[in-house]
Amino acid sequence: MVWLLLGCLLNVAIALLLSPLYEGLLRKMRAAIHSRVGPPVTQPYWDLLKLLGKEDLRSGGGMAYAALPALTLASVLLLATLTPMGAAAPLAFAGDMIVVLYVAGMSAVLIMLSGMTSGSPYGSVGSSREMMMALSVEPALAVSLAVGALKAGTLALGGMVDFQAQNGPSVSMSIAGLAFFLALQAQSGKLPFDIAEADQELMGGPLVEQSGPRLALFRWALWAKQLVLAFLLVEVFLPWPRLGIPVVDLLASGLKVLGVLLLVALIDVVNPRLRIDQAMGYFMRVGLASVSALAFAVIGR
Amino acid sequence: MGDPVFYVEVSLAILIVGSLASLAVSGRPRLCGWLSAACAGASAVSAWLAAAGAFAGQTSERTLVSLPQLGAGFTLRVDPLSAVFLAIVAVVAPASAVYSVRYMEHYRGDKVAKFYPPLLLCIASMNGVLVSADLVAFLVCWESMTLTSYFLVTYERESAASQRAGLKYFVITHGATLCMVAAALLLWRVSGSFHFDAARETLSRVMSTQPLVAHLVVFLFFLGFATKAGILPMGDWLPDAHPVAPSGMSATLSGVLVKLGIYGLVRLFCWILVPSPPLAAWGIIVALAGTASLFAGTLTALRQTDAKRLMAFHTIGQIGYICLGLGAGVYCLSTAPLLASISLAGALLHAVNHACFKSCLFLGAGSVLYRTGTRDMDKLGGLAGAMPYTAGSTAVASLSIAGVPPFNGFTSKWLIVSGCILTGLRSPLFLVLGLIALFISIATLASFLKVLGAVYLGRADERRAVKEVPASMIAPQVALAALCVLLGVFPQPALRFIGQALESLNGAPAAAVATGGLWDGIALVDGTPVAFWWPLAALAALLILALLAFGIQRAGKARTRSVPVWYCGEEHGPETVRYPAGSYYLPFKHAVQGVYPAAKLPAPRLPVQVRRLLDLDRWLYMPAAHAIEKAAGGISRTHAGAPQIYLLWIVLGAIVVAAITLGLAR
Repeated sequence: MVWLLLGCLLNVAIALLLSPLYEGLLRKMRAAIHSRVGPPVTQPYWDLLKLLGKEDLRSGGGMAYAALPALTLASVLLLATLTPMGAAAPLAFAGDMIVVLYVAGMSAVLIMLSGMTSGSPYGSVGSSREMMMALSVEPALAVSLAVGALKAGTLALGGMVDFQAQNGPSVSMSIAGLAFFLALQAQSGKLPFDIAEADQELMGGPLVEQSGPRLALFRWALWAKQLVLAFLLVEVFLPWPRLGIPVVDLLASGLKVLGVLLLVALIDVVNPRLRIDQAMGYFMRVGLASVSALAFAVIGR
Repeated sequence: MGDPVFYVEVSLAILIVGSLASLAVSGRPRLCGWLSAACAGASAVSAWLAAAGAFAGQTSERTLVSLPQLGAGFTLRVDPLSAVFLAIVAVVAPASAVYSVRYMEHYRGDKVAKFYPPLLLCIASMNGVLVSADLVAFLVCWESMTLTSYFLVTYERESAASQRAGLKYFVITHGATLCMVAAALLLWRVSGSFHFDAARETLSRVMSTQPLVAHLVVFLFFLGFATKAGILPMGDWLPDAHPVAPSGMSATLSGVLVKLGIYGLVRLFCWILVPSPPLAAWGIIVALAGTASLFAGTLTALRQTDAKRLMAFHTIGQIGYICLGLGAGVYCLSTAPLLASISLAGALLHAVNHACFKSCLFLGAGSVLYRTGTRDMDKLGGLAGAMPYTAGSTAVASLSIAGVPPFNGFTSKWLIVSGCILTGLRSPLFLVLGLIALFISIATLASFLKVLGAVYLGRADERRAVKEVPASMIAPQVALAALCVLLGVFPQPALRFIGQALESLNGAPAAAVATGGLWDGIALVDGTPVAFWWPLAALAALLILALLAFGIQRAGKARTRSVPVWYCGEEHGPETVRYPAGSYYLPFKHAVQGVYPAAKLPAPRLPVQVRRLLDLDRWLYMPAAHAIEKAAGGISRTHAGAPQIYLLWIVLGAIVVAAITLGLAR
């Protein structure tokens, strides 16, 4: 029980405390590509701190509206406790791969609801776009995790990680990992897929009316989600080398996550935004292509 | 303490007497409504007692009327499978009846005498279908259920849409019933008996001796049940008929009536037929039909802007989920019984859950219709402030149907999808079907976020004064929404009952879904535990983390201020800044436009004489009605009210009587 609580605490702390640091590193890299100096690595922490103290201007009312930011951050942190990070997920007994997929979708739902509740048409348009992105991206996520389930013969993420760590890379898991990576790009709202936020035309989309501490929580949730999903990618598809020493494994995963996120940011910097129909077509093709991973997995490759 | 059949008889008696009583007092609509609601409630209590008896292990059978010459009889039997569905009827039917009491007031021209008696008879015939253990009794109840529900669908006499939808419903479901009658007769020709046990024994024998006949029988039954359940394309009646019925009846139609098709399919594939390789082929057919229906139904629902029509299409989609689970289960029954019972448990649990959230959704749409007079979501917006209870229960039911954890829809979808993916380890087809189901669950979410966003959220129209519905309409909605949450957080009791139902079927061990106690998680066991879901733990973790997040939000002690929405510095009315339902997901809707096209069949080219002959209204009913009306008018003209004229009549009458008497006496 104590270990369970400590494990949960560790995963929550990683998601909560390290996600701004990763965001800071990504900003630094983006600045480097732009030939700028860029903000200090700690800037996202200061952003959050400042937002938490600013006046909270609310355009909507009601209990649900008031609870949405906290629930959004909580759903991402719940996802963190269901995701293996260096070791087995602390709450693995409470949710398997399908639960993880649905919980990952939960934060997006809550953000969309906050966009619709705010009463701003920009919020509704942003929510509608966010939903369309989810419709096109989730199949790719689901297929890539299902390939892991098919290979390991279990829906538990821990079982999939162990199988992949023991048996080494395979064709099917490589294709599935690639599909997951492309989906991660959209899930973390990075270019060329930041269609829902679209700062230049929708002014932040679902978050247009959010300010102060509420905005801080939504921002934090988005950063934490990008970190947790990157951990999920690294653990399920790239678990090597796995030494069995939790601290070392965690550090190795952390470094791999940094590599993955830097790649995400690199794609983000060098691409313009796609139109929504282009993005949907793109992910439909990604989803269909990842079905080939299923075929490979069925024949055991 | 009587046996389950006794309680079912009591419930049937209450409903039949209640329908006569409600007809007698139909002149006073509200009294009639409360009387009917009381009857529905009393019969529900009795049905619950019957279900509880069946779960306690009492399985009994009684023959009310016997026709030994035909090998038929009106035989009633309650086993755990019927008990699961009896329980569903007993939850939704009283909720609909209570809701209808005030709801029916907004129909000005039509009388409640056309509503409550058929409603109670419809509930009675549904109970009858569930407890019949004889094909003749089954078909009689089935037909009575179809007829009574037809009268409820065509309740609005003046509305052409409901008359057309009713006709379509009548024709299609009767075609299906004919198929079932043919199948029953085929079976009877072989065995000489209509009893279920005889059918069970005969069909498995015929399956080996005359496979063609056996498969024909199975196919005809499948067609009949699938039509009622709303599997596409046979279920094409459903999206027309469900929206036009009064909302209380829509909830009953979508919540329970279509489930009886599912009951028939489970009874057929898992109880009458023994597990065998040909049965596995039927499993694939059922699963494919289910997937086609969940795909086409849900993506078509996404395009609707009529709230009730949208929900009717979602009924097709969710029934597709149930059929997918059922098909995967039937496929595995002979080879991997553990896997089979995972999918079957998912299918049955989804039937239970769907009854709760879909009836709640229909009642919510009805409440909006009751207060605003429209089902068109493009014309609505921002009702959450004016109708908080309706909005809240609709939101809970929407999240449930979309499968957001920890609401109840998630648990059953998790079971179905897990069952499909695990079956996919043996047969890759089911892997693909499971992934399609997973994708469609996001489309369901999209569709219901649209409902919430377009109808309830956003800016309200201040000029339109909308109030919350009366308490007797709120109560059923809130109760059903509460049930969605309860079944979501504590699915264990429901799963244990469903496990009992599965054990009464052919070789589906309940051990595959390890539920533990009320406070434990659920694990799916296929040799080893392979999938996990613990709603209570996840919910507790979510709430603790939400408190933590709320603590962070309040850490800066920021001041809060309510401000108007900023429209880039300009003032706009609500209709200009509202995002209407039709505008949601436009690019996606364009992409999936051709999924379920509305086919316009040409009217059959009949000679004019035949068409006139078929139009009974014109040459039989209306002329007769006019003639009677005219005659009555003639008689009433003689009653002018003046005493002199009455005296004159008396004198004339006396003369006539005297003349006749004299004539006869002569």
